Amino acid sequence: MAAYGGYQRTGFGAQGGEDGGGFVGGSQQGSQGGGQKVYADESLRPVTIKQLIDGGDEPYPGAEIKIDNMPLTQVTVVGQVRSISPQTTNITYRIDDGTGTMDVKKWVDAEKAGDMEPKFGLDSYVRVHGRLKNFNNKKHIGANFMRAVNDYNEVSYHMLESTYVHLCITKNMLSGPTGQEQKQANAGDGGDNMFVDGGAGSGGSSARVAACSRNAQIMYNFLNTTPGGNEGVHLNMIANGTGMSVRDVMAAADNLLENGLVYTTMDDETWAILDY
Amino acid sequence: MEASSTPRVTCAYLNMYVGRNVMIVGKVNTLRGEEAIIDADGNITIHLNRDSHLTPGNGVQVIGKVNPDLSVKTLSTLDLGNSVDYTLANKVVEIAHQHQDLFIYPAEHKPQGF
Repeated sequence: MAAYGGYQRTGFGAQGGEDGGGFVGGSQQGSQGGGQKVYADESLRPVTIKQLIDGGDEPYPGAEIKIDNMPLTQVTVVGQVRSISPQTTNITYRIDDGTGTMDVKKWVDAEKAGDMEPKFGLDSYVRVHGRLKNFNNKKHIGANFMRAVNDYNEVSYHMLESTYVHLCITKNMLSGPTGQEQKQANAGDGGDNMFVDGGAGSGGSSARVAACSRNAQIMYNFLNTTPGGNEGVHLNMIANGTGMSVRDVMAAADNLLENGLVYTTMDDETWAILDY
Repeated sequence: MEASSTPRVTCAYLNMYVGRNVMIVGKVNTLRGEEAIIDADGNITIHLNRDSHLTPGNGVQVIGKVNPDLSVKTLSTLDLGNSVDYTLANKVVEIAHQHQDLFIYPAEHKPQGF
């Protein structure tokens, strides 16, 4: 787990309403709520190094790092190796992707023969999967995985994919977390942490719908923003409001019902968000 | 960690970057001693250094400094083989200039805290 950098909640279930009640070791509680890891939020985001340098600042140590206001989990970059410095516990590669340079630390297993040797030549292109780390105010990537890039077109592809993902997020094409949902996700609502599946019940609503289909996410967001209170919103209103067909709404509703995110109210065609 | 870029460019963008280091992906057309002409959406004259190993017909990535006459003085070259999709590479240049906040630091720009 160490490679994932997050802290883990203790198994005592002592997370009362306030995060980090009286019993939890302070050292474990590296952050206030922000550190809660939800599997459904895990993704591998393609980025340019410039994005990591410019964005990726933590407001306080241990806080969630965000780019384009989207929490950053794992990232992937593609760049050229500019320098290699083997250390006792890791190999530090300086990676340059033309947009900026950043150190990438690949931890090595001293027991494993050959692991200490750098596997990539100077100036060769590599793809890195890892997490952005902030150590002594200096950013680096803690690499989980590195491989050589043999086809230059992958470099072009990565640059376009990074742009695509950036645009998707900033132009709101993903039903990404809105500011309000994000707050909920950060609030660290104790009590839900028994769930490990991250589907229903853990974290905020963004995490809750992450496992659902796209239509279901649209419908959920619609329900979330439409005033209707406990009485729910009728099928026709949802279809009109989201531009989906009646059939799509029914399928989305089934999907949300399965995940325990909505419930039917007046009749089988009226739903409200199940909040608990 | 360094906040400086070597912008990806094609022939058409060279005049924006005189005196700066850039990255060019193109196809090697002709090779004459210390000089090469590569095609990156237009021909660019490259002044090679001793470490450059170019193969005519192959793709090459040149990192170098743009001279006032829009030729490029090589800092490093990388052979990219013969399966480079140049249309794609040129597209990347175009996209990078449309979204500079993702790709290109302005010249001499130093963000705070470095």
